[in-house]
Amino acid sequence: MRVVIAEDLFVLREGLASLLKEHGFEIAGTVADGPSLLHALIDQRPDVAIVDVRLPPTQTDEGLRAALEARRHIPGLPILVLSAHVEQLYARELLADQAGGVGYLLKDRVFTDEQFTDALRTVAHGGTVMDPEVVAKLLAKRFRQLPGGQLTNREREVLALMAEGRSNSAIAQRLFVTEKAVTKHSTSIFTKLGLPPSEDDNRRVLAVLAYLNA
Amino acid sequence: MDGMERLLTPSLRRSGALGWASLLPVVMLVCMVYWGIRPWTFGVVLAAGAIALLAPAVAADLLPVALIGLACVAFGLIGRDSVLPQGSGTTDGYPLHALVFGDGLPHVVDLSMGIVMLAFGVWLVPRTIGAHSALTKRNSELVSQVRRLTATRVDAVDTAAAELRRVERDLHDGAQARLVAMGISLRATERLIRTDPDAAVSLVAEARENSARALAELRALVRGINPPVLAERGLGDAIRALALDCPVPTMADIDLPGRVPAPVEAAAYFAVAEALTNVAKHADARSVHIRAEHASGGLRIEVTDDGLGGADPARGTGLRGVERRLGTFDGMLAISSPPGGPTIVVIEVPCALSSPKTSSC
Repeated sequence: MRVVIAEDLFVLREGLASLLKEHGFEIAGTVADGPSLLHALIDQRPDVAIVDVRLPPTQTDEGLRAALEARRHIPGLPILVLSAHVEQLYARELLADQAGGVGYLLKDRVFTDEQFTDALRTVAHGGTVMDPEVVAKLLAKRFRQLPGGQLTNREREVLALMAEGRSNSAIAQRLFVTEKAVTKHSTSIFTKLGLPPSEDDNRRVLAVLAYLNA
Repeated sequence: MDGMERLLTPSLRRSGALGWASLLPVVMLVCMVYWGIRPWTFGVVLAAGAIALLAPAVAADLLPVALIGLACVAFGLIGRDSVLPQGSGTTDGYPLHALVFGDGLPHVVDLSMGIVMLAFGVWLVPRTIGAHSALTKRNSELVSQVRRLTATRVDAVDTAAAELRRVERDLHDGAQARLVAMGISLRATERLIRTDPDAAVSLVAEARENSARALAELRALVRGINPPVLAERGLGDAIRALALDCPVPTMADIDLPGRVPAPVEAAAYFAVAEALTNVAKHADARSVHIRAEHASGGLRIEVTDDGLGGADPARGTGLRGVERRLGTFDGMLAISSPPGGPTIVVIEVPCALSSPKTSSC
C-alpha cells in the first residue's frame, strides 16, 4: 500500500515513515509543505495519504486545505488527517463531500501503532475514521432534533464507534453483544436519522454527517 | 496631574490667551472714543495679535499679551496728552500718523481704524472663544481617556501576569512532571531490559502513557492560550468551532470579510467562549444564536439565548475578566437578561478590519 506523508517536523516525518515501513506500507513520498503536498497527491495518487493539518508556508491549516483541494480533483482520494488538536469544524469539512475515505486523528494516536495502522487501512479502503475526541464532542450536544426520534444510549454508543471507523464485528466485540444486535442497532440509527435503506458502507459516513447536522 | 495632562495644558492656555487678546480691539475702540488714542497704538496691538497667532509660544500665557495691551494703552495716552493740544505745524514728538497724513486727518483715520478694529474684534472673538471651548472639551475628554487607559493598562498587566503564573503552574504540575516520570521509567527500562524484559516492556508502556497524558495536558493548555482554530482560521471560523462544541445547539451567523487584529481577535474569542460556557451552565437554553459583524469601525458580536434569563448582573469572575480584557482595546461587554429571557450578551470592540483573507481554496 503506497502512502504519502505530509509533515513538516523532520523527527515526526521520519518516525512515521519508519513505523509504516515496519508494518509493510510503501512510502511513495514525503513532503513538508502545502503546495508540494497538493502536487504529490495529484501526481502520485497514493493509496492513502497522512496529512498534518498545520504545514508551511503559512503554518495555518495549509495541510487540511491541500487535502480538501486534492479530493475536489480526485473524489474519495483516501486521506488521513493528523493534528495536535481535533475540531468538529474540520471534521465536518472533511466529511462534507460524503465520499468516504477520510480519517481525522490526534497525533497521539500514532503511539498505539496497531490501532493507527488499522485506521490507515480503513481509510485506504474508503472507510471513515474520526478521533474519539471528536466523536465525544459530537455526542455531547443536547436537544438534537432527529427525524425519527431520539437515539437510545446504546444506539449512541454504536454510532460513536461507527464514527471512530470500527466495523460491526469490532463494535460487537467492544460492547459485548452479538454482531446481529449491532446490525439491528445500526438499522435503527439509520432510520432515526432518516437515511434510506441501502447496503452501501457509505451510509456510516452519512449517519455521522446527519448526526452532526441534526 | 500626570504626564498627558501636563502636556495638554500649554495649548489650552494658548487658546485662552488668544481669546483674551481678541477682546483687545474692542477695548481699544472704547479707549479711542474717550481719550482719542492714536491709531498706531492699534498697530502695536495688531502686531501683538499677529505674534500671538504666528508664535504661539510667545502667547502661551495671558500675561505677555495683557502687558502688550497695557503698554499700548499707556503709549496712546502719552501721545494724546503731550502732543494733541499743541495743534498742527510741528512734528516734535508728534505721533507717527501726523507725519504720514498731516493735519486735519487724524480724527478720520482714528474713526475708520476704530471701525476696522471693531469689525475685526467682532469677527475674531467668537472664533477664538469657540476654539478655546472646543480645546477645553477635548482636553477633558483626553484626561478621562488617559485615566481609563491607565486603569485598563494596569488591568492588562495584572491579567497577563496572572495568566503567565497559571501557565507556569500548569506546566510545572502537568507536562513537566510527566516528562520527569517518563525519564524515570526509561532509566528503569534501561536497567531491566536485559534481565527482566517483561518488566521493561510494562515500564515502556508506562512511559508512553505518560507522554500521551502530557500531550493531552499541553493541548488543553494551548487551547487556553491561543486556540488552534483561531490561529489557523481567524475569528469567524473560531466562533463557528465554538458553536459546534457548545452542548446547546448554536447557530453562528458570521459576517467578517477580513481579519480582525490578532489581540482583539483573541479577546473577542474568549468573550464568546465565556458567554457560551455561561449559557451551557446556567441558562437552561434550547438554542443560542451568535451574530458577529464588523460595522461602523468596530467588531460587534451578539450572543443571544432563549434560556431562563435573569443572569446575575454582578456577574461571575469569568465575565469580569473578559470585560477587563476587552477594556484594554476600548471594547465593552453588555448584558441584557430580563427574568424569563432572552439573555443577550453584546461585545463591542473598535478596530479596523485587515484586507480580506485569501479564499480557502
